[in-house]
Amino acid sequence: MSVTFILNGLPATIAPEATLATVLRDDLGRTGTKIGCEIGRCGACMVLLDGQAVNSCLLMGWQLQGRAVTTIEALETLPVGSLLARAMAEENAFQCGYCAPGVMMTLAGLFSARPDVDDAGLREALEGNICRCTGYHSILRGAARARDLIKETS
Amino acid sequence: MKILHPASLTQAAEMMAEGAVPVAGGTALQLQWSQGRARPAVMAEVGSLLPRGIRGLTIGAATPLEEIRRAGLPLLSEALRDVAAPGIRRMGTLGGQIGFGAGCLMPALLVLGAQLETTEGPRALAEYLAEPRGLILSVAIRPADRHGWRKTGLRAAFSPAILTSAFALKMKGSRISMAHLAVGGGPVPPRRLAGTEAWLAGQDPATLDPDALRARIEAEVQAPDCAFRSARYRRRIAANALAFGITGQLPAQPGRRTPIPARALPPQQTVLGRASGGERWQTRPDMPAKVRGQMPYLTDHRAPDMLVGRILRAAHPHAEILSIDTTEAEALAGVEAVVTHRDIPGLNAFGIVFQDQPALCADKVRHIGDMVAAVAARDAATAEAALALIRVAYRPLPLVTDMAAALAPGAAKVHAGGNLVSEVVLERGDAEAAFATAAHVVEATYTTPRQMHGFMETEGGWIAPEGDGLLVCVGGQHGARDRLQLSRILALPEAKIRVITSPIGGGFGGKDELTVQPALALLALKTGRPVRLQLSRAESTRAGIKRNPMTIRMRTACDGEGLLLAQEVALLADSGAYASLSPGVMETAMEHCAGPYVIPNIRTRGRLAYTNNGIGGAFRGFGCNQMTYAVECQIDRLAAKAGLDPAAMRRRNLRVPGSPGYLGQAVGPSERLHEMLDAAQASAIWAPFEVAPEEIPGTGMALTYQGTGLGTIPEDEARFALRLKDGKVQALCGLDEMGQGLVASLHAAVAERLGCARSDVEVIFGDTGAAPDSGSTTAARGGYVVWKGVSETAPGLSARLLGQAAQRLGHAVESLCIVPGGIGARGANAPAPLLRFADLGDVTAEEAHYAFPKSDYFKGNARFLFTYGATLARVAVNRITGAVRLVRLEFHSAAGPVIDMASYLGQMEGALIQGAGFTLSEDILMRDGQMVTKNFDTYAMPGVRDVPGEMHVTAHETLDPGDPFGPRGAGEIGFSSITPAIANAVADATGRWPATAPFPPEEILAMSEAESAA
Repeated sequence: MSVTFILNGLPATIAPEATLATVLRDDLGRTGTKIGCEIGRCGACMVLLDGQAVNSCLLMGWQLQGRAVTTIEALETLPVGSLLARAMAEENAFQCGYCAPGVMMTLAGLFSARPDVDDAGLREALEGNICRCTGYHSILRGAARARDLIKETS
Repeated sequence: MKILHPASLTQAAEMMAEGAVPVAGGTALQLQWSQGRARPAVMAEVGSLLPRGIRGLTIGAATPLEEIRRAGLPLLSEALRDVAAPGIRRMGTLGGQIGFGAGCLMPALLVLGAQLETTEGPRALAEYLAEPRGLILSVAIRPADRHGWRKTGLRAAFSPAILTSAFALKMKGSRISMAHLAVGGGPVPPRRLAGTEAWLAGQDPATLDPDALRARIEAEVQAPDCAFRSARYRRRIAANALAFGITGQLPAQPGRRTPIPARALPPQQTVLGRASGGERWQTRPDMPAKVRGQMPYLTDHRAPDMLVGRILRAAHPHAEILSIDTTEAEALAGVEAVVTHRDIPGLNAFGIVFQDQPALCADKVRHIGDMVAAVAARDAATAEAALALIRVAYRPLPLVTDMAAALAPGAAKVHAGGNLVSEVVLERGDAEAAFATAAHVVEATYTTPRQMHGFMETEGGWIAPEGDGLLVCVGGQHGARDRLQLSRILALPEAKIRVITSPIGGGFGGKDELTVQPALALLALKTGRPVRLQLSRAESTRAGIKRNPMTIRMRTACDGEGLLLAQEVALLADSGAYASLSPGVMETAMEHCAGPYVIPNIRTRGRLAYTNNGIGGAFRGFGCNQMTYAVECQIDRLAAKAGLDPAAMRRRNLRVPGSPGYLGQAVGPSERLHEMLDAAQASAIWAPFEVAPEEIPGTGMALTYQGTGLGTIPEDEARFALRLKDGKVQALCGLDEMGQGLVASLHAAVAERLGCARSDVEVIFGDTGAAPDSGSTTAARGGYVVWKGVSETAPGLSARLLGQAAQRLGHAVESLCIVPGGIGARGANAPAPLLRFADLGDVTAEEAHYAFPKSDYFKGNARFLFTYGATLARVAVNRITGAVRLVRLEFHSAAGPVIDMASYLGQMEGALIQGAGFTLSEDILMRDGQMVTKNFDTYAMPGVRDVPGEMHVTAHETLDPGDPFGPRGAGEIGFSSITPAIANAVADATGRWPATAPFPPEEILAMSEAESAA
């Protein structure tokens, strides 16, 4: 028996014992979401679940009944999405970009809920995202710029 | 697995009685599964039946941890900052944490006197932990007057616990009326410290003896050893944390000891960043796609007829293969092919330096990641099931796991020819005589880790038959060489193999050698269908190339004035089971063993050993960073003995620009060591700075001096082309984009040289079918390859573009120039082109073929072009835990003109932090040929909380007049001297140099304690 959930605004199904990250990539054609460790320790697979950033490699189908999942493919449908994308691009936040989908969804969840988050809050929000290329400062600069842009336009 | 949804707690209890495992957020269960525990047949979802939310001091069991983190509850909210990470805390529940039993939060709950409501009635937390029964409904806490909490892990945040401790005190006036102390976390059973609690009652924390308190706690804590930390360390940090938390007292601390260098004027420096960069700061062309998740990585490709591959790895780290039986696997429905060594048409061997690694093992396995067979099936589950049906009979062989033992007479042999892979010996002058007369001699043995590349995209991709050949789409760092190696294995002409290697989700050297290509290619050939495969992180950890562990014994002497006299170096490096690029790594280490210093008497020997410890090979730094760690610490040790500051000691011994290199070879111009020392001396980093009361401040420096390119021995050439096609200036360059900024650099270099806009440029790269062979994307050679290729081709293409435009427009060539968008009038004010590139028609390619600049020394491998830098570090050494916190990092670099500012800055910052991981937290532990560290749960790459608050990167961009070699490589220099800079800062703080990386906190703690006692 499959579970029905909302994926980027449209109905989708998943087997109860299946893992969302794998299903997104292998069955639902959403390869924007990356899998980096499969045990919730790198954050490359972050998606929004009812607006909150969670590791999709730890989410199983049975947890999704009736819930809304937003992946990186739908980033710019979020009110903060386009400004966030612009700020991160302008600051050249990433290098290889493989962690980017996860980092972007973490920040999208953060700014959607707390657009005025302070620097300490920004850092804490990113503690579940591993980036191997940048040393994080470019990501933090991009996030701070996104916060400024969001503030300016609100 | 079956998931039940009980309608009531009574029904849930019935299901559990029949064996169903209760689940709420599921995070703890999933971690257990990943660590090897079997998944239950039946789970009962109980989260929706349990109370959720916080009322006063009572917390519903189904409340997510993140909600508690933000609730401002005494102690608990603060403690939760250190538990997991926000994404997991949003799923995990408090009830689940307690049900899991060993969560690191337990000490906090214990000292808060947590009382549980359960389906079996009310219970104290301690009772429940001892004998869990029923489902937890809610948790009530009872705060005291003062609280404290500390979690120590493998890094600053999001780590398994080494130890957590907490305390809660009720006060009557200045005296303690009730004390609760508890420890737990990781393998430490959560429990209160009743004896110490009783001893504390009635005492005044301000006047009680902290040493006596520490001794009591240390005696009472029960903690085990584990592979990562000792029991003694756990007891010690529990005692330190609780005693400091309760009394606020630590022994007095002497000040910093390294003499501060005299101030110097800084060299010309470009500060890198968007704010300071102006027009030079451009958005990289790959960035818009990357921030939107639209970059098409090779592991993302899916197609309807595509099969899924899986690889069977060795069951033993060293064993003879007696037989391989694939009959059952082949018979499984959905399996399309199984391949073994019997399916290899060509040479069953590969390797960049020499071909000692089997594509699929035939007669023996030499490490736990060795490939024995592979399966292609309709889906992943079928392929994995088929692996389990392949029967391989082994006869285990004696293990070779210690480098020194591997080279001792009579050792078991990993390869028939013996375990010595290679040896490099160099003697010059009379070292013994010099040591005998020296004023100061220092000796230490430096040990460096088996660091994992940790690229976020694990090894993988897809391979498909194409015509009578193959299309190979697997991340790599030199497509043409991958093609050559595959051609040998498959007995297929190179012309029939097209290799696409980009874009890549990180490489760092770990994708330089073949990874999954041989297995995937054999499967694609046998099935006639495309096959994809991406290693799981666990498999990547088990099978992937790692940095070669090394021990470097170094003895160095100077005279009374600090002038270096002699150095003796004995290096042992672990190659693992195969050579790959390890001989090059070892040789590079030996090439850098005097650093940038003049040492007249040298006696050095480096040996590389085969073992059964996985595989070693290329990794950013490539031997240089390990040797620089040793050299730059020796310099500071001798400076201390000679009474010199670190800069003065270095200045006294620096090589003279233009003089022969360490091997006597000619070296390139534009040496910038003095400028980098000036930058170090000009820095404000030496000034005093504030740290927390429990920390000791320290500042240190190290010089960077690293050769670029492959050296004199290997072929090191590049082809390059530039053309106008479909309205775009196309740069054809066979290098790979791994994130370092190849594409951005080409856009920048072409635009600057031609005069067009960056957006007029398009790059064809990482594809042997479309781009020429530009050599490997390694050894920081890309910057030169890009610059030289553009320099060679741009003038010719420019002439052709202008000529063609002149014809079209009927203008004189001399009256035209290239402008953004196309061809414009020379001297015109308006930037708009007279003729757009799109309207100009295609212009044939201008091609170039050139060699990376080489030196004149061929007795060994020698570099010609070098890069220079100075790394400076401010650290805070924690006196409770021995952790080293990075406060500020500065990197001053000199690698010639910066091609693309954002890419350059990214390479520097990223290398510093990757190097900080090498220095402080990263190591793949192995025991008996097996990885103890299996995934990112215990492999501690730096997270955002580990990086310093401040990082400052500068570039000194000048070249000597007439220097024809342009920009030097930028990929590695950031890594070279971060470890000794941090080590020297630790020595400033504690008076002792850590000689093992990653620095063991237990050792650092002992250093800081000795310092306090001194």
